[in-house]
Amino acid sequence: MHAQAADALSVTFSPDARALHAGQLARQATGGDMEAFEELVRRLQRRVYGFAYQHLRDVNEAQDLAQEIFVKLYRNVARYDETRPFEPWFWKLAANTTINYRRKRVPIPTDQIVDRAVAPGVDDHDSELIDALAQLDPAYRLPVLLHYYADLPVDQVAASMRLTVAATKSRLHRARALLRNALAEADERNSQQST
Amino acid sequence: MTETLACARVRVLLEPFVDGELSAEQAESVRAHLATCDDCRLQHDQAVSLPFRMRALRSPLPPVTLLPAVMGSLAPAQRNAQRAWTLLIPEAVLAGFILWYLSGIEGLAALASGAWGDLQTLATWGAGSAPLPEIPTADVLLLGALALLSITAAYHLSVLARLADAGARPTLAERRRA
Repeated sequence: MHAQAADALSVTFSPDARALHAGQLARQATGGDMEAFEELVRRLQRRVYGFAYQHLRDVNEAQDLAQEIFVKLYRNVARYDETRPFEPWFWKLAANTTINYRRKRVPIPTDQIVDRAVAPGVDDHDSELIDALAQLDPAYRLPVLLHYYADLPVDQVAASMRLTVAATKSRLHRARALLRNALAEADERNSQQST
Repeated sequence: MTETLACARVRVLLEPFVDGELSAEQAESVRAHLATCDDCRLQHDQAVSLPFRMRALRSPLPPVTLLPAVMGSLAPAQRNAQRAWTLLIPEAVLAGFILWYLSGIEGLAALASGAWGDLQTLATWGAGSAPLPEIPTADVLLLGALALLSITAAYHLSVLARLADAGARPTLAERRRA
């Protein structure tokens, strides 16, 4: 199975491209190496799409946002400083793109939210948390996803959201408190229904 | 002696408590309250498990169309960037003509001395002591070529600016189609 996957990859990419880390791929992409950029997108797409899906809860919009993030990456990859880690820089760009994406997109009316194209099978897992996240204000949801889902350190979340570290921590605590309350209420409802 | 905290106060302190950000005294007060309050203990359990649940959150796999769509949306930008270079051909032709006319340093020196002579003639004509100077046809040609070069360059710069702004950003409809 692994050998098949390796063979499939070798059709498209040279062994060099696969051996490089994300920062090196970004540097090569700066020089116009589309093969390196494609490999970079291939490596990031799962987490980027997951992040977009958790934020928007709609598979079509998630693909749209993920694509916009990668196009933004392509346009800005020349600004990446190779001496610094790639991931924080990238997620900062992803967060900014997400904020701008939310600003310009037309909000879905509340009565149409049920018609959103959710991913089959995924929402069955920890549905209470997923519902609680969906109810969270985007200003709270974004730092939560950046920190806990994309594994961005608090200072990088702060930088990407143009907040101070203290304000970011406070926002994360507030978001977690709101989620905790929603989860506790859901637990209470579930226990009342079962008795 | 630890301070007795109300439930509302404990709920506010739960996340900093879980993260270990409270002072030893505050943490002890929260701990003492949790030992006696079932509701707050349930909230505390939620607060402890929440970061783990967040990290374990499952997401759908990206659609197979995502990667081709991304690369496909970048290809027109690349083609546009390559095509943009062809815009420079008229400028190159005009610049070549001007350089040929000037013929290097000697041509430049001749142009400078000619322009200085024209200015002097103009000054004496203005004073009423000389006839209107005659401008050589080649100078008119050169002036025309320079004006054409400036106009073409300005137009092409505006085209390149528009390409840079919109080239790598496909429209929503284009992305949907992709």
